[in-house]
Amino acid sequence: MYNLGTVFRFEFVRTLKKKSFWIMALSFPLIIGAVFGIIYFSNKASTKAAEDTKNQKFSLVVTDESGLLNKSLLTQFGAAESTDKQVNIDKVTKGELDAYFYYPKDLSKNTVEVYAKDVGIFNDSRYQAVAKALLQQSVGLTVDQQKTAVLQDRVAFNAITYKDGKQFDGIREAIVPGVFLVLFYILIAMFGNQMLVSTTEEKENRVTEMILTTIEARTLIIGKILSLIALAFIQILTILVPIIIVYSLFHNQLALPNLDLNNLPIDPLRISIGAAIFSLSFLLFTGLLVAIGSIAPTAKEAGGFFGVVMIFIFGPLYAVSLFVSAPTSPFVGFLTLFPLTAPIPMMLRNAVGNLSAVDTILGISILAVSAFIALSIAIRIFRYGVLEYSRRMPLSEIFKK
Amino acid sequence: MNSVNPNTVVQVSHFRMDFGKKTVIKDLSFDVKKGEVFGFLGSNGSGKTTTIRALLGLYQPTAGDLLVGGKTFSVSSGIKLGYLPEERGLYKKESVIDVMIYFGQLKGLSHKDARTSAETFLARVKLSDKATTRIDKLSGGQQQKIQLGITIMNNPELLILDEPTKGFDPVNRRLLMDIIEEHQRSGATVIFVTHQMEEVERLCDRIILLKDGVAHAYGTVAEVKKQYGDISLDDVFIKVYGDENEQNEEAI
Repeated sequence: MYNLGTVFRFEFVRTLKKKSFWIMALSFPLIIGAVFGIIYFSNKASTKAAEDTKNQKFSLVVTDESGLLNKSLLTQFGAAESTDKQVNIDKVTKGELDAYFYYPKDLSKNTVEVYAKDVGIFNDSRYQAVAKALLQQSVGLTVDQQKTAVLQDRVAFNAITYKDGKQFDGIREAIVPGVFLVLFYILIAMFGNQMLVSTTEEKENRVTEMILTTIEARTLIIGKILSLIALAFIQILTILVPIIIVYSLFHNQLALPNLDLNNLPIDPLRISIGAAIFSLSFLLFTGLLVAIGSIAPTAKEAGGFFGVVMIFIFGPLYAVSLFVSAPTSPFVGFLTLFPLTAPIPMMLRNAVGNLSAVDTILGISILAVSAFIALSIAIRIFRYGVLEYSRRMPLSEIFKK
Repeated sequence: MNSVNPNTVVQVSHFRMDFGKKTVIKDLSFDVKKGEVFGFLGSNGSGKTTTIRALLGLYQPTAGDLLVGGKTFSVSSGIKLGYLPEERGLYKKESVIDVMIYFGQLKGLSHKDARTSAETFLARVKLSDKATTRIDKLSGGQQQKIQLGITIMNNPELLILDEPTKGFDPVNRRLLMDIIEEHQRSGATVIFVTHQMEEVERLCDRIILLKDGVAHAYGTVAEVKKQYGDISLDDVFIKVYGDENEQNEEAI
């Protein structure tokens, strides 16, 4: 492993110098920030518009055949009562009246009719909002507050569950071990292509012979993988640091929920298992992508295989509900123990706490052996296949050597 | 395995190389002595590059022994090697100085020594102003010079140059020849793969002519010339490979 540090530094520094790395690294938090910004400002603008609309006065006539509307409330809203529906509709049509609401006799079968002067696509909704508020507040005055809360689905529930004689909150318990799943997704999505082309560069630049007569193929590959891991940490920091800063400084302004990180459940065993699955999965797919990159003559051709690898990794996401609801089914068992599909089910099941001890031991062992085999094959393919500059070397030839 | 002579840097014994059903080298044996310039000659496709790659462990030989310093070559075998391959290339998107320092460090130099060595070479080949330029912004000839600089920056004891003058203009060819001579004078062993007979006559102590997967002629330049009736090396080459070239032309 002599020269490992030199390879690592060279690969790490030259990637950091690339504009494309920073564009990619910063684009993720910037896009997320932009989306949250748009949502925040949009909500703020909508709330302000709704407030403005609510406070706007307009002439209103109401026909109440349901008998549910409260007379004093109608007065508060500045609404006049009338029994002649057609006359009021004509007045609205001619622009003599801003709005007319018709409440039919049986509201469970008929609809409330709202006729109003157009005030723009966004402001037109105020009429319906007022018609609804009039009805809800009028009925609310006749029912006590508790019943109103039940009917309006405003009752809060607080469930406390127990496991092994201790209080257990499944969702909160899943947060820390679940971080590995998110990290794995981000790393593969962001760096998968970089892993794939990391060795095609030597091939495309015809630099292989000089490299392989100077350092061991294993040193080069491991140096490249270590640099990718270091770059991945930088990528994670570019995502986490802005989130932590924005949350710490602006969580009140942005109406973000209060996260009590101090009381987050920490289960060292599950976190260790999550870390082991994450590391081995990362090594397995790195080895696989490097092997594909070494066997293909160009980055473009290697890219064609990338989709297949992605299907194996992220295909199991379509069965997420099964991993939670039917962890003992044979299908989930297969996806958990088949090395190419194992990362997502193993990390997810570990996070939600249904990964059995047997599945944990078997799955981690399978991942470890597969990662070792993938890396060994990657090094062998690079060693013997990379001199085939312009053709894709058949695997049979490589293993004969 | 044959016994190792301390004066022999490279020893090839009964080397055979098959690629699938095709045999490129049938049975090749030769040695290269310490401090000599050894010319490795042959027509295109005669197996020169294959032999060099097998010697350096890039290819696994089908049969035979290929030894460098008495053992199969590996990057950890402790031999200071300078290898300029036929397939030329460098990290194209990096700067000249970064790539030279990188290779210098891989060859065992400290960062400081690698920088000094790179700067000295760039000054010699009048490319100091290109130190921070990206490799792909250089001309083909300039890139070749950089690759040559990388090849020699660790003062190699064994210098293997596979068609080093390919693509060089006469001025740079002269520069290359001077560099080879300097390394020979400082005790390095040089294996020189080329088609340029005047270079062979000027530099080489001994030569081997490869044809049909075997050594067609092998010895000092004078011995080989004498074997063909004291004609020039150019004429020897034409005599040995002329029919092959005619066949190639007919095939074309």
